[in-house]
Amino acid sequence: MSEGEKTGFISKMIGPKKRWRAYKARVKELPENYRTAVEAIERYLMYFVPIDADSNALTFEDLADLFEQAAVNGTPIREIVGEDPVEFAEAFAQNYTEGGYVPARARKQLADDIERAAGAETGTQDKTV
Amino acid sequence: MAKLLTEMLKGTLEGIILASLSGRPAYGYEITARLREQGFSDIAEGTVYALLIRMEKRGLVDVEKVPSEKGPPRKVHSLNSQGREYLEEFWRTWSFLAERLDQLRERGGE
Repeated sequence: MSEGEKTGFISKMIGPKKRWRAYKARVKELPENYRTAVEAIERYLMYFVPIDADSNALTFEDLADLFEQAAVNGTPIREIVGEDPVEFAEAFAQNYTEGGYVPARARKQLADDIERAAGAETGTQDKTV
Repeated sequence: MAKLLTEMLKGTLEGIILASLSGRPAYGYEITARLREQGFSDIAEGTVYALLIRMEKRGLVDVEKVPSEKGPPRKVHSLNSQGREYLEEFWRTWSFLAERLDQLRERGGE
């Protein structure tokens, strides 16, 4: 059985580093064009801020699942990732990350700052810093 | 045109997938193939896959791993009761939107 079977409890036990190596080993087994595509998506996914180590590892395991299945079915790369690979990658990343190139605290900061500014308009400005 | 279609599909793809699953359970490849046959020819399998994972996380679909003769096991998705409720809400919202847009087309901004 492939390393891909190590999900759930076992994957929690073997830890992020081992899961990463297992993922890399799976990618190596893919036909060359699928491997190239996975590695390109992998590079792009690195820009996202993961929720935690577990969901970060899961991202790549699910990515490997998708491409292993596609390789078996002979699905062309374009049909997997679509005309705009960024769109696919962002939809995919949304499941495991805090939603983009900025950490959650930065988005909270923006929301808080705007709320303070909007509050100031109606004279309800928060005096605390 | 294709660009506009893509943009408009973005908000509805979840509902489209749920509607497709309401007929019978399926795995990602099947759902994509089915939708492509029905005229959604630009849909990417990976995007469907990503949305299926999201819907699984939100508890709208149940997943069963079924062994396949070749390759890794397939994840077969089926709509559960929460998913059915969501789908009903999707159709209600869709009707609302379609109605408003029809009004706009007929009467303009008046």
